[in-house]
Amino acid sequence: MSFGRETGQPQTRIEFNTYLDGLIGYAVVLSRNRAEAEDLVQETCLRALRSVGQLRPDGNIKSWLFTILRNIWLNQVRQRRTTPDMVDFDSEENDTAEPADTAQDPYEVYASKVEQEQIRAAIQHLPVEFREIIMLREYEELSYQEIASVLDCPPGTVMSRLARARSRLRELLPAGLMARPANEKETAKTSNETAA
Amino acid sequence: MSDAHDADGLSFQPSGSKESKKSACDEYAVTVLRYLDNDLEGRELEDFRSHLNSCANCQAQVGEEIALSKLLHRTRPLYSVPAQLRARISAATKQPSLSLFPTGWLYQLRLETLIGGWSHIRRQFLSLRVLAPAALVIALCLAFVPNMVRNVRAASYVEKAATDHRSYVDGSLPIGFQSSSPELVTTWLTGKVPFEFHLPRAESNPESKPVYRLTGASVVDYKGSPAALVMYETQNEKITLLVVSSKAAVIAGGDKVQFGNLTFHYHTDSGFRVITWHNHGLSYALVSSVSGPARESCMVCHQNMTDKGAFSTRR
Repeated sequence: MSFGRETGQPQTRIEFNTYLDGLIGYAVVLSRNRAEAEDLVQETCLRALRSVGQLRPDGNIKSWLFTILRNIWLNQVRQRRTTPDMVDFDSEENDTAEPADTAQDPYEVYASKVEQEQIRAAIQHLPVEFREIIMLREYEELSYQEIASVLDCPPGTVMSRLARARSRLRELLPAGLMARPANEKETAKTSNETAA
Repeated sequence: MSDAHDADGLSFQPSGSKESKKSACDEYAVTVLRYLDNDLEGRELEDFRSHLNSCANCQAQVGEEIALSKLLHRTRPLYSVPAQLRARISAATKQPSLSLFPTGWLYQLRLETLIGGWSHIRRQFLSLRVLAPAALVIALCLAFVPNMVRNVRAASYVEKAATDHRSYVDGSLPIGFQSSSPELVTTWLTGKVPFEFHLPRAESNPESKPVYRLTGASVVDYKGSPAALVMYETQNEKITLLVVSSKAAVIAGGDKVQFGNLTFHYHTDSGFRVITWHNHGLSYALVSSVSGPARESCMVCHQNMTDKGAFSTRR
């Protein structure tokens, strides 16, 4: 992050790199379309650059960017007059995860990838109100107040909606996924050793 | 943060026996989350701890919430931005026109005046006094040959459009901004060209796919002024559209075809088909390799568009 912090001075610069993964995630859960999500992120950045001077020095740049992205998406939905349909964006060609860490155990890499795909699929089956709140809270770690500001609703609504979103998500996740420990292979190895 | 009532009217239907067992503790769903977020304090915290000690359902709920949080947290980030998009955004932040500083030809003019001061303006005025008689002579000459000048200027526009098209096809003219979104391309061009220009959204027939698609735009020079070069592509070839102010480019010559209120001029230059027209103060030159009779050229791209009727019959 490197933007103006002098008292009374508006923000003058945004380092987008910090926020791009979060923005694309939010854009994907809103639009459920990879190409549209990329356009949303691009337009968000362009608009943010044009109006960065209006952001207060103590302004929360992260929530501000998410609010811009959401407003652009809402405008597009209003223009189309229809809610976007489910599009298969989770194919291999759209998998934009970070390059594999060669130092990581290949089994762990594979297991994590499968797990991530299962979570993506489950989240995409939630209603949009639940999808976005899961992203903003669980992946972007915005506070209830920040989420309320992005969604333009009371913090109480954010909390109750989050509780219901999590409950619905648990129902959609494959059985046993939550029970899988972080290092499944290690656990399996320990069990085998104990059995022996 | 104690106002945890639901105000958004979303429906939520717990299903299955597991949910039925929990129904008695549904009212604690938000409290459980707040408890795990360390958001409870004082009497609220004591009350909940007391309830938790005696409620197996809520204990199970706390365990499930912790497990879900761990699962979600270890899959971060759920999506990553493609490297190409990251690079494009990084490049965009380095564009001077997107910074806080005012840009464009008007700003440039003001800047030149400020830097040069009054002496700069006086020099220009003096040079005008010297050049004025010569200009008068030239103007008188031009009055006798208006059509020739008009055609020369029109040919110059066609030639420039064909040259830029060739450079783009050869790869020597890169796309300044890549996007298939007319809104984004319009936004990118704003402030870079000295005229207002809005790319229309292609209204394709819902039953068929459009034959062409927008790929991006660049800013090129036309007689010392920035001009917009918009890039399209079909399955087999690239198409460019050079847009300049009508004050800078004359539209004339070629094979004229009237469609509605617009007159299209069909030229051939360096083996390319160049179609020029002007509308609302802007001049357009569309360059492609599409061959065939002039009147049918438009239908190559507009055959599946909702506006195909405008091109299918000569008016």
